[in-house]
Amino acid sequence: MTEVLEEKTTKLVNLTIDNLEITAPEGTLIVDAAKLAGIDIPVFCYHPKMEPVGMCRMCLVDVGMPMRDRDTGETIMEKGKPKIQFGRELQTGCTVSVSEGMVVVGYTEKVKKGRQDILEFLLSSHPLDCPICDKGGECPLQNLTIGYGSGESRFDLEEKQHLAKHVPLGDLIWLDRERCIQCARCTRFQDEIVDQPVIGFQNRGRKLQIVTFSEPGFDSYWSGNTSDICPVGALTTADFRFGARPWEMQASASVCNQCSVNCNITFNTRREAKSGGDLVIKRAMPRQNEEVNEVWLCDKGRFAYTSVKKDDRLTQPLIREGETLVETTWEKALDLVAEKAKEAGKEMVSLVGGRLSNEDYFNINQLTAHLGGKSLLNSEMAGGDLVSQVGLGTGSNIADMGQGDAILIVASDLEEEAPLFWLRVKQAAERGAEVIIANARETRADRFAKYKIRIAFGQETAVILSMAGAKEGIAVEFLADDAKVKAAAKVFSEANNAVIYYGSDGLGLSGSEELSKACAFLLSETKHTGRPNNGLVAVWNKANLQGAWDMGFRPSETLAADLKNAKFAYVVGNDPASKDILEKSLKDTDFVVVQDVRLSETAEIADVVLPAQVYTEREGTYTSAERRVQRFYPAVPAPEMTKPDYKITAKIAKRLDLSLEKIAASLVFLDLAEKVADYAELDYVRLAEVTEQWPIIGRDDLFYGGTSYQNTQGLGKQISPAIETETIKYEAFVPSVLSKKDEFLAVPVTTLYDRGSTMLSSEVLQPRIADPYVILNTADAEKLGVEAGVQISVKLNGKTANVTAKLDDSLAKGIVLVPRSMGIPISDPGSITIKAK
Amino acid sequence: MSKVDKHILLRHHEIPDIANIKTYQADGGFETFRKVVSTKMDPVELKNIVHDSGLRGRGGAGFPTGLKWKFVDDNNWPHYLVVNADESEPGTFKDREIMEKNPWQFFEGIMVSAYAISANDIYIYLRGEFWELAHVLDEQIELMKKEGLLGKNLFGTEYELNIFTHLGAGAYICGEETALLESLEGKMGQPRVRPPFPPAVGLYAKPTVVNNVETLANVSLIVEKGANWYRKFGTEKSAGTKVFSLSGRVKNPGNYELPLGTPFRELIYEHGGGIIDDRPIKGIMAAGASSSIIVADDKALDTPMDYESVPDVGAQLGSASVIILDDTVDMSWLINKTTHFFKHESCGKCTPCREGAFWMTSLTERIRSKKGTMEDVILLEDVAKNIKGKTLCALGEFSTEAVLSAIERFPDDFDAQVNK
Amino acid sequence: MANFERFNPIPILKGLYTTFHSTFFEPVVTVQYPEEKRPVSKRFRGRHHLRRYDNGLEKCIGCALCAAACPADAIFVEASENNDDVRFSPGERYASTYEINMMRCIFCGYCEDACPTQAIELGDQYELSFTERVQAIYTRDMLLDTVDELEKATPRKVEPGAFDRSIPMMENPD
Repeated sequence: MTEVLEEKTTKLVNLTIDNLEITAPEGTLIVDAAKLAGIDIPVFCYHPKMEPVGMCRMCLVDVGMPMRDRDTGETIMEKGKPKIQFGRELQTGCTVSVSEGMVVVGYTEKVKKGRQDILEFLLSSHPLDCPICDKGGECPLQNLTIGYGSGESRFDLEEKQHLAKHVPLGDLIWLDRERCIQCARCTRFQDEIVDQPVIGFQNRGRKLQIVTFSEPGFDSYWSGNTSDICPVGALTTADFRFGARPWEMQASASVCNQCSVNCNITFNTRREAKSGGDLVIKRAMPRQNEEVNEVWLCDKGRFAYTSVKKDDRLTQPLIREGETLVETTWEKALDLVAEKAKEAGKEMVSLVGGRLSNEDYFNINQLTAHLGGKSLLNSEMAGGDLVSQVGLGTGSNIADMGQGDAILIVASDLEEEAPLFWLRVKQAAERGAEVIIANARETRADRFAKYKIRIAFGQETAVILSMAGAKEGIAVEFLADDAKVKAAAKVFSEANNAVIYYGSDGLGLSGSEELSKACAFLLSETKHTGRPNNGLVAVWNKANLQGAWDMGFRPSETLAADLKNAKFAYVVGNDPASKDILEKSLKDTDFVVVQDVRLSETAEIADVVLPAQVYTEREGTYTSAERRVQRFYPAVPAPEMTKPDYKITAKIAKRLDLSLEKIAASLVFLDLAEKVADYAELDYVRLAEVTEQWPIIGRDDLFYGGTSYQNTQGLGKQISPAIETETIKYEAFVPSVLSKKDEFLAVPVTTLYDRGSTMLSSEVLQPRIADPYVILNTADAEKLGVEAGVQISVKLNGKTANVTAKLDDSLAKGIVLVPRSMGIPISDPGSITIKAK
Repeated sequence: MSKVDKHILLRHHEIPDIANIKTYQADGGFETFRKVVSTKMDPVELKNIVHDSGLRGRGGAGFPTGLKWKFVDDNNWPHYLVVNADESEPGTFKDREIMEKNPWQFFEGIMVSAYAISANDIYIYLRGEFWELAHVLDEQIELMKKEGLLGKNLFGTEYELNIFTHLGAGAYICGEETALLESLEGKMGQPRVRPPFPPAVGLYAKPTVVNNVETLANVSLIVEKGANWYRKFGTEKSAGTKVFSLSGRVKNPGNYELPLGTPFRELIYEHGGGIIDDRPIKGIMAAGASSSIIVADDKALDTPMDYESVPDVGAQLGSASVIILDDTVDMSWLINKTTHFFKHESCGKCTPCREGAFWMTSLTERIRSKKGTMEDVILLEDVAKNIKGKTLCALGEFSTEAVLSAIERFPDDFDAQVNK
Repeated sequence: MANFERFNPIPILKGLYTTFHSTFFEPVVTVQYPEEKRPVSKRFRGRHHLRRYDNGLEKCIGCALCAAACPADAIFVEASENNDDVRFSPGERYASTYEINMMRCIFCGYCEDACPTQAIELGDQYELSFTERVQAIYTRDMLLDTVDELEKATPRKVEPGAFDRSIPMMENPD
């Protein structure tokens, strides 16, 4: 295990812990060195991912150093070994680093008594809450009391102090002040790791208690993680309050299907009375994958994992008879679908969303290609083909980036679009990586960026081309003379390793297509391709858009026309009719087949509706934005008459004389790996491989590091970009100009808490979802006579809507931010008119 | 040359209006500072003078001042000098008198010290209750700026010096040096993990020297008259004079500046006038509420008050806030007071002090309330012993001193209390 | 006369005497069940019941320790939040679902030992029979003790803050 830490430091020291002679890198803390050797030193306030504070005093051990002669500096020897002098008092193992010849002893009476005393002190204030406390069963305090406590309390029960229980810190986290042992893990997490100190301590002494400083309370996307690392049941999540005992639940490995980071999740499931005895998911917990999400989850992934309520589920195939959809059998439905598909032939389109698995995409594309139709992707962001060419090199791990490396973020509010990417880039910045941000507005990532280039909306491609040194033919304002751009360009090209994250902040399809081309150009000019930790990352807004691109789907500029002119539309896993313009087109399509989990708006106008399975009910793989392919596993059983998407497609294909795998996702994957060149190196079974990860969190260490789950079902594998084996050339080009006709330009932006289906299905997150809104510049709003929080009428793309106005004085004048999926459809930047009401 | 007779610090006893800057300057005040800066004296030489003088920290720890200054990391800049005027130890009121009655010597002392450690900024951290004093100090700082004693390019050199006052908010723990630095930085006043120590990593992670008011008020005279002059006062290992804050059951409580090594008897009976109503003396707390209680027998009364001798009677000299207890003081009542104090003042960062102080208080309350038994006394002793050696800072450690010494040395008081 | 070694009538007569004596001269020990029933011992482990406090609030706080202790996995517990408007038990938590599968239960009494509030008790009733397997699942309503007075029924509205501790100092904490 020492190999894990060895790569990072050079010098090793020899020391003895509990009579075991071990070697550890210099600078390792005693508790970590002991854990590497398999010895557990009990801790409460120490967490391997945070700086030690030595507060709880639980890790007290006897530390001895070799004695040295004061005058000569020579080590004093005794019986051939260095004479060891132990400190007069015990020292905390979490604040002392190992040094040569150190002797640490944890089994003496003094240490045992010390641990017993500290536990006795903690329990003198801790309430007798185990029966009603959610942490029971995964509680470090329980485990350590059994292990090291005295068994009896001498504290008088009547004098125990009573504090507030069940205090809400915001809507998501409950605080119990009596249980808190003042270890400060939560406040340190918010401060050190996510740079959002919205909770802190108040008062002092035994009255030291956690309070929240933000309005709404605990206003952070990371609050759920504090309940994982809290060593007692002081911080608990609102959605899992009294849900079940940890030992009563089963754990299933899965992957979050919200954004494109694809954090590893464990779903805990149990039968539930109010669901009629069904096996349901009780909670989502992070699963340790040090290359993706470490041991963290953002609150959206943790609380918004349901995409459809049981009552809204499609449970039978439906066929249109006149105005209504009637239930039918699979045979009849599939026969009809196949018949119509055969008739349509080349004039069919298949339109997919971003949350299907690779296996689904593969089968659907195969079917479409067999008929000669178009494989379309319902997405407003381009560049997936470039990512497959110059994506991150194999073996990339952002955790390895630091001093001497550069990270460029362009057109992305990283924390809103992919929170775990924001966190990992922040940590890279703290290790010394130079972060360059080129955005048209302020984002939270600015705080750790060394180079902040403020562009105007529409200049994203131009700034990248300027950084690449392209001079000819740029019609837009020439940015390359800007000193900041020059400095950033220099840093980027001279960095040892460089990664570009490009998002869709203010961009539609054409804008992101140009931007991705420009990024590819920049990377190839600066020779940052084809190696680990070098390449392009597209911050998609759905889990498996990269997989869709890899399997052959492409978004279309003319989607409405494509649908209108098609004779057969196969709509899988998306709801285009929720955008009026596409609803009209679909009404003109001759035959529409919808394959989904709920009766969506598109399904309501479809001719055949096929019930599919939610991803928590079946297996498959997702490809993340870093091109890491990871497996997910079924957590709950599927309703009887539903089938996985790949199987439905295969059954249709069979009727059209095309043989596709349908029995298991693994077989589809086998097929896929043969036919899709990029995936040839993958083996479905080997995707479930795991290696030992450091730090050891969850599992055998009695939950010292938190209640994240061990990863036993797959770390996933990254696939190599094409440029590692081929030569690909990129050229500079002239970017399009964003024309502004009217006074206000509406730009699409992403917000994490939107009004998408997963958010609206999550009960606990409801209070955090805003009503539809747009953001205006404060001065612009004044001119219009609009105040913050009032309703205004906006007209965009011919549609009018009433929304709330939010003001931001750091926003550029004339710009209106329109969040996606918040009630106003927007796909590209365009003119918008605003009227106060 | 400054006129010094018996008092080095409380010189207002000899020069009544020394608080007037003109009087101070007439006596030769600020000459040392001017000389040190304008002749660009080598800071190392200054550090050596202070080291050789044997001056030890007067805030309670008694750490050799010159040695502390030598630990300042010269590879990390800038340096800071922080003056600890928190003075929250019960029974200590010496710094207040020095700052109120002999302010200019205090200022000159800290200014010379700042030069010695090559610092350009001095922060005086005062306890929140000293807000009136802080206002006065601020006015005096403004006056010094006008006189050209503070600011940029002092005496035509490149040396710049600024002094800032900062008020605390009623926390005894902020007298602990790293908690003070945390408070100064605007964070919660909780001690840091040590090592690293402030001379290496201090205020804003820069090398910082934190010294007590009394310690620094000696410096200008030491530099003026030399290390050997200072060694004439006091003993070999504890050089110089000390301001003893005498309080408790004595006729004349107050601050008395005496050479270190003066026996307790002299302080209590000669200067303090003896016990009220001439009652028999019972115990001495030499270091305020943080002390072990000394049994006031003849051996103790004849013990010299210096850092080496007091441990012979089972206590520490500390900040020399000498509280005298006579036979009207019940020790169980006394430790109830001290445990309440420490429970109130514990910062709450580490478990043993936070929980232990709370537990000890409920035990002393129970003993005092006559519902207690001998088991409670034994438990109290055990709890105090369990706190010792496990805390993050000295507050927790010292909270147990009074309790353990009272139970061990005055068992009769406890017997009487529980067997009523 | 028969051969004495081959056929000895004395033991037979002795045995017959024992039968004769026990039939006519010893008391009858047969318990004529179901008309007569043998009284159960003090710690008899029979049918479970969930007890209440004297004021009617349920003792069960839904902690599921009984389910954890059960060697036969016979108990299923789901907990829910209590509040002062709709109060079932003192404190924050009560058992909203409580089911015991009587066919799995081996009547060992571990659940009774494990319960921190002494809510579940194995009582005296042993006459349990079912005609269908589903009847063997005893639900919360079947297991809870009944109340004498309507004011003591649960759920009920209580004074705010009166019962905020899950393990309170109430009467009969036995």
